[in-house]
Amino acid sequence: MSWLLKRIVRLYPRAWRERYEEEFGAMLEERPASVSDVYDVATGALDAWLFPQVIHERSVALIGSRMRRSVLLVLWAWAGVMAAGVGFQKMTEYEDFVRAAHESAPVGVAFDAIVVGALIALVAVLAGGAPIIFAALRNAIGSGRKDVPLLLCVPPITAGIFVGYVLVLVRVVDPIFGDPAVHDPVNVVLFVSIVVMFMLAVLASTASVSAAVGRSGVGERLYRFALYPAALAAVAMVVVSAATVIWGLALWVQDPALFAGDDGILAPPTAASWLVVVAVMGCSACTAVAAAVSGFSRLQATKTSRSKTRRTLRRGDGARRSP
Amino acid sequence: MVKEVSGLGRFSDPALFILVSLAGGEKHGYAMMEDIGATCGVRLGPGTLYGALARLERRGLAEPLVSDERRKPYRITAAGASALEAKLREIEGFARAGLGRLATA
Repeated sequence: MSWLLKRIVRLYPRAWRERYEEEFGAMLEERPASVSDVYDVATGALDAWLFPQVIHERSVALIGSRMRRSVLLVLWAWAGVMAAGVGFQKMTEYEDFVRAAHESAPVGVAFDAIVVGALIALVAVLAGGAPIIFAALRNAIGSGRKDVPLLLCVPPITAGIFVGYVLVLVRVVDPIFGDPAVHDPVNVVLFVSIVVMFMLAVLASTASVSAAVGRSGVGERLYRFALYPAALAAVAMVVVSAATVIWGLALWVQDPALFAGDDGILAPPTAASWLVVVAVMGCSACTAVAAAVSGFSRLQATKTSRSKTRRTLRRGDGARRSP
Repeated sequence: MVKEVSGLGRFSDPALFILVSLAGGEKHGYAMMEDIGATCGVRLGPGTLYGALARLERRGLAEPLVSDERRKPYRITAAGASALEAKLREIEGFARAGLGRLATA
């Protein structure tokens, strides 16, 4: 009969088994099993499913990790939009584009929308990220960990290295080559090296922040809060992407010659540069929206599950009241 | 406090037996069953015992102790002792009233 009891114990919810199975098994081994025990353990399994008393710690951890993943995905998406945005700014800093923005309302409004959207996304990322970074640092200091603070030092260090590299190129290397022209191979190599350094800095910074947050043991509550700024950042990224599309189309209509010219980043075709920027921004914005939606659906599922548990407990554990 | 125990529905009586048993000292599951059988004359099934124990633990009325053995001992908490005392006083008053009425019948 005890073999049957051991099989029935497997019918209990995983959370219950993780908490009680070992001691329950030990108790069953100490006494001869009876038919009434089989019935009692079987109804106990049904009760554990209908009126759970044990919170599944793994489920809680899983929910937290999924929310963290959503928030970090929005951070990565923002890094993508930001990198593409820097490229866009570099492309449009020339006089021709500034004039086009002044002469055409759609081009000007779209450009302003890109700037405003980028600022909102930046503020949202900082608002959602700052409490998490602060908590991560506090946890790390409290537990004497050095890896998290070291990882969080990577973004300022890479930013410093990048700025230093650009300064060396502009003030030392460029004069050596006599201020080369745009299409000069030396200029192309130097500019590509700046782009590569910038991309490496963005990748290293985002990866190190993600790794630090992943190791920090920050609670689910902060990720839950961060979902709201993350959603705002995702919306702002969509606005930036859509405004970039409108900017390109409006420029095409306003000044076809400029749009078909070779004023893109490092003087390739403008249209091709614009398409690359739109593609990177679009993919990043879609990733951010998907991550935010996934995070909120997880949040909703958590709320539903918790209110169900509260209702169950309020009903007096689902059992009939004593007279 | 009384509600803490009587609000457990069909697990109210098993929970009360468990608290009475733990009031006599810390015990693991099998020892509780034996003790309850001896003192209350009730044979609790394993599923019922752990159903009630999980509810008591969740409400902070009983708590497990650290143990290297598979069998985990439990003890009554301060809140559990208060809830048990309140429930026993209620039963005591009820029993006195019933006995008084019988005496005068």
